[in-house]
Amino acid sequence: MGDHCEQTMRKLSVYIDRELSDAEVRSVKAHLDDCPPCEKVFDFQAEMKRLVRKECCTDDAPARLRDWVRQLATEKPPARDREA
Amino acid sequence: MNSDFSLFERHVDALYRSALRLTRKPEDAEDLVQETYLRAYRYRNRFKPGTNEKAWLFTIMTNVFRNRLRQRPAPTEPLDQPGTDFSIYDQLRREGMPVHLMSPEEIIVERGFGDEVKHALEELPLPMRMVVVLVDVEDFSYKEVASILGIKIGTVMSRLHRGRQALQKKLWEYSGRPRARPVAVGAH
Ligand SMILES: [Zn+2]
Repeated sequence: MGDHCEQTMRKLSVYIDRELSDAEVRSVKAHLDDCPPCEKVFDFQAEMKRLVRKECCTDDAPARLRDWVRQLATEKPPARDREA
Repeated sequence: MNSDFSLFERHVDALYRSALRLTRKPEDAEDLVQETYLRAYRYRNRFKPGTNEKAWLFTIMTNVFRNRLRQRPAPTEPLDQPGTDFSIYDQLRREGMPVHLMSPEEIIVERGFGDEVKHALEELPLPMRMVVVLVDVEDFSYKEVASILGIKIGTVMSRLHRGRQALQKKLWEYSGRPRARPVAVGAH
């Protein structure tokens, strides 16, 4: 693994999180474009991040909680049912 | 109707699913979200219009959560462990698996019960779990997470790094270590 590969791997997750500067993005992108092994690691880790998001976004708030929050915006805030 | 507050209503799903990852119990999550909205309502005049209302709500929620934890610590919270370098990708490669033909989804989800990612996340020590949830699930920037949790950006990054490695390690364990099932090259 060359210096470029190591540098890219070190910045990979920050790159995936879109937190690198424009100049760093360009250099990581350029390396990924001509280094298939690094590009595969990138694909895998980016997919991993998407998977975590997808798998953890399946729980919606229960309807009664949603209604409770909606009511909060009305004149009289409802009592918290759990304190009853 | 107070139209201002409706701006906050739309984040109820995001708050609830994150509350669920933090508390690990639906009743506690619901309670945490209620408390969060009660405070948001009470202090709604402190919110600066034009700033990120989702980040504001998450700041309230993590504060409420940490206060509660201080009052009655959960006995089953996993302890922080020293970090170990781990990635599923490296592990697969080390075992000579055809990693270029495998997606994380195939390895983790399709071989399991479907809830592994949530469970693995819930088993992370809280400081790491919070950062992974905020960055990877809720899509906050490092800077926003630093502000929500009142920590430095460098701390966000190191917790994220360790959290993701720990998460992958758990997922790897759950997957029963992917069998060295031969994958036919070129098969669809
Ligand atoms: Zn490379």
